[in-house]
Amino acid sequence: MRALRNLKEALRGLALHKSKTLLMTLGVVIGIASLTVIVAIGEGAKAKVLARISDMGFGPEAFSVAAGAGRLFFARTKTPTTLTLADVDDIRAMPTVQAAVPHQRQSMRMVYKRNNTFTRVYGVTPEWQSARLWKLSDGSFFTDEDMKRKAKVAVLGATPAGKLFGDEDPVGKMVRIGKVYFRVAGVLEKKGVTESGFDPDDRVIVPLSTSISRLFRQTWLFSIRIHTLDPSMVQETMEGVRQLLRKNHNLSVFAEDDFRFITPEGIMEWVTAEERALNRMLVLISAVSLLVGGIVIMNIMLVSIRERIREIGIRRCFGARRSDITQQFLFESIFVSILGGIAGCALGVTISFVLKNLHVLAAKPTWESFVVAFAFSAAVGLVFGIQPARKAASLSPEETIR
Amino acid sequence: MSLILMENIVKTYLSAGVETPVLKGIDLRIEEGEYASVIGPSGAGKSTLMTIMGCLGSPTSGKYILDGEEVETLNDAQLSRARNEKIGFVFQAFHLLPGVKAIDNVMMPLLYCHKVPADARERARESLEKVGLAHRLHHSPGQLSGGEQQRVTIARALVNDPRIILADEPTGNLDSKNGAEVMRILDQLNREGRTIVIITHDPKVAQHGRRTISLMDGRILEDRRHESVTQFEGSPSRAGSA
Ligand SMILES: Nc1ncnc2c1ncn2[C@@H]1O[C@H](COP(=O)(O)OP(=O)(O)OP(=O)(O)O)[C@@H](O)[C@H]1O
Ligand SMILES: [Mg+2]
Repeated sequence: MRALRNLKEALRGLALHKSKTLLMTLGVVIGIASLTVIVAIGEGAKAKVLARISDMGFGPEAFSVAAGAGRLFFARTKTPTTLTLADVDDIRAMPTVQAAVPHQRQSMRMVYKRNNTFTRVYGVTPEWQSARLWKLSDGSFFTDEDMKRKAKVAVLGATPAGKLFGDEDPVGKMVRIGKVYFRVAGVLEKKGVTESGFDPDDRVIVPLSTSISRLFRQTWLFSIRIHTLDPSMVQETMEGVRQLLRKNHNLSVFAEDDFRFITPEGIMEWVTAEERALNRMLVLISAVSLLVGGIVIMNIMLVSIRERIREIGIRRCFGARRSDITQQFLFESIFVSILGGIAGCALGVTISFVLKNLHVLAAKPTWESFVVAFAFSAAVGLVFGIQPARKAASLSPEETIR
Repeated sequence: MSLILMENIVKTYLSAGVETPVLKGIDLRIEEGEYASVIGPSGAGKSTLMTIMGCLGSPTSGKYILDGEEVETLNDAQLSRARNEKIGFVFQAFHLLPGVKAIDNVMMPLLYCHKVPADARERARESLEKVGLAHRLHHSPGQLSGGEQQRVTIARALVNDPRIILADEPTGNLDSKNGAEVMRILDQLNREGRTIVIITHDPKVAQHGRRTISLMDGRILEDRRHESVTQFEGSPSRAGSA
C-alpha cells in the first residue's frame, strides 16, 4: 500500500530530525494536557454531584423543601419560623405524597467525659431511617414510643461516635448535647467523606419531639423531605406544595416564597456551575495552545520543506507522485501531533491526579480523555499539516533538483 | 521505434517577466542500446535537455516521445511511473538522501513502484554489489567517499531496471581516479545493453560513448558517431572485471 510506504518514509524523516520533532509537539502537549484536565474535571464534578445527591438520600421520587428564601442549601435570609408541623400534616394529606419527613437542625457542642466535638444535630421523626435507608452499625434507632415520650435518646453518626468514644462502645452511654443529657441508642453506619470533602457522618439524630421541646426549644422546622409515589409526580407535587405553603404562610401574591426547594437536578446544576468558570478558562487555554501548537507545526513543516526541497526533488525523480509527497509530509505532521497528544494526555492525567490528591478539585481522569486527546491532536496535525504538505507536493521536480 | 524521439523541442524559462530561451528547437532520436554524450559549454542548455528527457519538466513547445509514449499527454501519476520505470538518474551532486543508509537510498525507487517488489531489499543489495559496494550497505552518504557516493547513485539508478540511464556530469565532482571508476561502470552497463546518455562538458568523458551531440546556445551544433574509447585517462583498464 502506497500510504503505508509513505508513512514509513514520514517516520524515517521524523527520526532523522528528532529535536525539530520534539519542538513541534510542544504546543499540542500543552493543548491536549489542558483538554485532558478539562475532561477529568468534568468527570470529577459529575462524580461529586452523584456522591452529594446519594449522600442526601435523594431518590428520583424525592425532594426537599427548606425554610427561607434562597437556593438549595443556601438561605438568603435568617431561617424564618413559618415552616411547621402543620405544613407537614397538610403535605402528608396530598394524594401524590408517600411520606413527608420533617427536619430540625442546629450545630451544637457534644460532650462525653473529657471529649467534646461540634456537630450537626438533627431532630427527625422515626420514619427518617427508612426514608434514608441508612443502616445502623450498632444499637437501634429511636422508636415512635420515644417520639411520643419526647425521649432524650440520640443516634450518633460515625464521626462524633469516633471522636467522643474512641474504641469504647457508645450504646447506652450518656452524652451531653448543649446542656441536655441524652442516652446513646445507636450508631449510624459510616458512609465516609465524599469527593467534595463533605462528611455525612458528622451528625447526631434525636427525636423531633425532643428537639422541639427540650433541645432547640423551637417549633419551626428547618426542612421537610418529601417522597412522592412516583418520580413522574415530583413536578406536580412540588407545585402543589408551593401553593399549599404560600397559603399556610399567608403570603400575598407579591411576596416571594419564604421557602426553597432542594432537588437532585438543582444540586447537579449547582455543583457543575462551580466547575464551569475554571472549565471555561481551561477550554480557552486548550484552544489557544492547540491553535499555537498547530501553527508551530505548520511553520516548522514549511521551514523543513524548504530545507528538504532537494529530498522532495530526488523522490520525485525516482517515481514519487505528488500524492506521495503530500502523504509523506501530512503523515509527519499528524504523527508529530499525535505524539504531542499522547504526551499531553499523560501530562494531563498527572495534573489531574495532583489536583485530586491536593483536594483542589475532584478531577477524575478517564479513558475518554485519551480518545478525545487522540482525536483532537490528529485533527490539529491534519488541519495544520495540509498546507505545508500541499506546498511540498506542488514543487515541480525540475526546480527541486537543480 | 526509437527510445527517445524529440521534435523541435523549445524551452523558454520565464522568470520575473523575463523570457530566457534555453532550448531553441532540438530534434533528437536515441535508439535502444546507444551510448551517447551531450557536450557543450556551460549554459548551453544540457541540463535543461536532460530534465525534459527525464520527464522532470515539460518543454515550452515541441513533441517528445519516450518509449512510444507522448509525454505531453501524461498526468502526474503516469509521469511519475514513467520516471520510476524507464529512467535512472545520475547527478553530478549525487543527490542521495542524507542520513539514509546506502541500501535504503538504493531501495527508494522501488518504494514508489506500481507494485513494490517483495525482494526490494535483495535487489538493492545486488545493485550495490554490481557497483562494488557490497561492503558499504549500511553506510550513510556522509560516511562514504565521493566516488562511493556516486557509485551508490548508479546503483540507485539501476535498481528498477530502467530503459535508459541519464547521467548529468557524473564525474564532475570526482577526482580522476574515482571518475575513471564511475566511467568504467557506465561503460560496462552499456556493454550489457543499457542505453546511456551522459551530459558533460569534458570531451574525454564524451569519448566513452559512441555518439557525441554538441549543444551550443540551445541548438544541436553537431551530432557525430564515433568509436568508443573505454579507457579513462590515467586509469588502468579494468574493463571486464565487473
Ligand atoms: N529556471 C530558470 N529560469 C531562468 N533561466 C534558467 C532557468 N534554469 C536555467 N536557466 C538558464 O538556462 C540556461 C541553461 O541552463 P542549463 O542548466 O541547461 O545549462 P548547462 O548546459 O547544463 O550548463 P552547465 O554546464 O553549467 O551545467 C542557463 O543560462 C541558465 O541560466
Ligand atoms: Mg548542467
